[in-house]
Amino acid sequence: MSTTTMTAPADKKSHSLALKAGVVLVGVHIAIGLLTLVWLPYDPTAMAGGRLEGPSLLHWLGTDRLGRDLFTQMMIGSRIALIVGVGAVTIGAVIGVTLGLLAAFASKWLDDALAATLDILIAFPTLLIAMLVVAASDTANLWSAIFALGIALSAIVARLTRILAKRVLVMDYITAARTSGSGWPKIVAIHILPNIWPTLSVNFALQFGLAVIAEASLSYLGLGAPPPNASWGRILQEAQGTVYTAPLGAIAPGIALVSLAIGVNLLADGLRDTIDPTRRAR
Amino acid sequence: MTTKTLLLAALLAGVALPASVLAQDFNPDASIRIGSLYEPQNLDNTAGAGQGINEAFNGNVYEALFQLTDAGSVEPKLVESYEASEDGLTYTFTLKDGVTFHSGDPLTAADVKYSIERVTSEASKSSRKRSLSTITGIETPDDKTVVITLSARSISLPYNLSYVWIVNDAATDITATEDGTGPYSLSEWRRGSALALERNDSYWGEAPTNAEVVYTYFTDATALNNALLTNAVDVITSVQSPDSLAQFAGNPAFTVTEGASTTKELLAYNDRVAPFDNVKVRKALARATDKARLLNSIWGDYGTLIGSFVPPTDPWYVDLTGVDAYDVESAKALLAEAGYPDGFEFTLDTPDYDPHPIVAQFLQSEYAKIGVKVNINIITANEWYTKIYQEKNFEATLQEHVNHRDIVFYGNPDFYWGYNNPDVVKLVADAESAGSEAEQVEKLTEANKIIAEDAAGNWLYLYPQIVVSAANVTGYPINGLNSQFFAYDIQKSE
Repeated sequence: MSTTTMTAPADKKSHSLALKAGVVLVGVHIAIGLLTLVWLPYDPTAMAGGRLEGPSLLHWLGTDRLGRDLFTQMMIGSRIALIVGVGAVTIGAVIGVTLGLLAAFASKWLDDALAATLDILIAFPTLLIAMLVVAASDTANLWSAIFALGIALSAIVARLTRILAKRVLVMDYITAARTSGSGWPKIVAIHILPNIWPTLSVNFALQFGLAVIAEASLSYLGLGAPPPNASWGRILQEAQGTVYTAPLGAIAPGIALVSLAIGVNLLADGLRDTIDPTRRAR
Repeated sequence: MTTKTLLLAALLAGVALPASVLAQDFNPDASIRIGSLYEPQNLDNTAGAGQGINEAFNGNVYEALFQLTDAGSVEPKLVESYEASEDGLTYTFTLKDGVTFHSGDPLTAADVKYSIERVTSEASKSSRKRSLSTITGIETPDDKTVVITLSARSISLPYNLSYVWIVNDAATDITATEDGTGPYSLSEWRRGSALALERNDSYWGEAPTNAEVVYTYFTDATALNNALLTNAVDVITSVQSPDSLAQFAGNPAFTVTEGASTTKELLAYNDRVAPFDNVKVRKALARATDKARLLNSIWGDYGTLIGSFVPPTDPWYVDLTGVDAYDVESAKALLAEAGYPDGFEFTLDTPDYDPHPIVAQFLQSEYAKIGVKVNINIITANEWYTKIYQEKNFEATLQEHVNHRDIVFYGNPDFYWGYNNPDVVKLVADAESAGSEAEQVEKLTEANKIIAEDAAGNWLYLYPQIVVSAANVTGYPINGLNSQFFAYDIQKSE
């Protein structure tokens, strides 16, 4: 027992530290992403330097094979990662929450059918579904990648929404609302969404990280945003052949990717601890 | 670097490098371990085995009537002498005496007939089938004489026959076994990992300078490089990027040689569609391309600029880099003359593997300077084959063309790029029916100059052929034409 009382405050402290670290990591990427809208060190497509130059005052991270500034590419990579994360999570949320609520309210057979479909979809890795969606579309571009990831994520969101909504739906106050004549749109808006929102938003944060990594994987495989869009995955892929002579080209996008993914996860963990009432009570 | 210069000099002089220059002593019973990325799918070059089988077997296990040497010339191999009739439609070949297959059977005219028909047969998947389609009959008046009749003159017949393995007509299932006449016989084939050849002690010609050759196959270029670094192999047959050479260059334990490959990086336009049907537009794009910079980006200090589709190892090579040389101002002027003063926009179908995407980005950046907008569309190799090669549904594309002596594609208006110049069509046809090699060379050289002047395509650069070996190993081929890797002159000192 004494150990529990000893570790609890420490736990809480590390959690808030994690949250802070998450905010800082994600904040840096957001700041860089916003900065790219107004300022870049170089034109991203300009072949401003020599082949595979090392880091210097002119090129902080050196240049790639075509002599393009790597730091500029990395900055644009931040912007693309954020766009992909926000876009994919938004699409996933809209489709997923709608489907999940539909299943929760539906008759038994429709609910069963939807639940089975979602289970099948979730059985496939997110990346695989996204690859299928991209392959089915005519041309690969940033938006098709975002759409594909949104679709892939929506299954996970839908299943979570369905379970959470069902848990709320059996509550007495829902029965009370129903008997007092509230229609389902009102029940959803007033009772269900506010109740399940904290859990969903933590999940969205986790999915954000998933989407960023998945987009990098798609770009690495040549299925993401076409060149010259400087997605981290593409930078990584193009640097693969030169990893011995210019390792920064592979290390930089790797670090960027990991820092954003870890940042988002820390943020999600922290959010869960602040939002989730059961955890707060502990 | 001195070794490289020496080898280049030897190449330019068109002579085989005397191995003795580099190594005085060698072990005649050495085992040569060759690392390669190209594992053959089977052991039959007419059954879709891939380029790996040419690498391992051409000249080593199987021989042909003629041999394409590493310097690019065609020399008699199993043929003692041959003559063509006055009209060029009948060739009479006399076979060498004393040649036997590994099974012990002597080489006869019937084996030659069988071997040629194997390539031209219905079931054959040989890429050389079409070039032998002028053969109408093969007669074998006696055991040492083969008479081939043709439907049209074909000056390239000896060259085309250099691709035809002479196989024992009694051999069965040569997809998994072999029966050739070469200096080595197959001793072991472990699918998925290695192929071992051992010296044929009853070989009719000069004996190999080693006792055994083992081809070890890798699927990953990094693993292949590491194998050489850790002395698991002696030679790497082709290095895929200049950056992996950093580990070997300047290290006295290794020798890096650069030869001339036949692989050309090409920006191919669909010459049928506007604006690429306009020669001025094509010339403008050629002049707007800083090829020297591009080659440096991709290959560092390696590779060659050729200015046309013809590599230095083809007999009709001339240096055409001066035609439409890099000049942005004149490119703009030409575009304006062609009616595109403000440029235009096109889609560049780009295969998804290295180096094409990076080349595409380079071109995008270069052409933006003359107002031409390039939209990069990444496609797979399969898509390239169906969409571009078969359906010809594209504006422009990137492709590496690996074949030797393939300028003849420009004489075919139905080829995917749709280049149609009647003069070139006629020159290519006339070259094939030429009465002498000199005439053939003259006509194809002329065709070569015309396609360059027409900017039929944008020939970006010629890939280098880079072989890296342990310093104690010498005598290997440096150009690797037609993917061949003759092993019989390789020497290893202990």
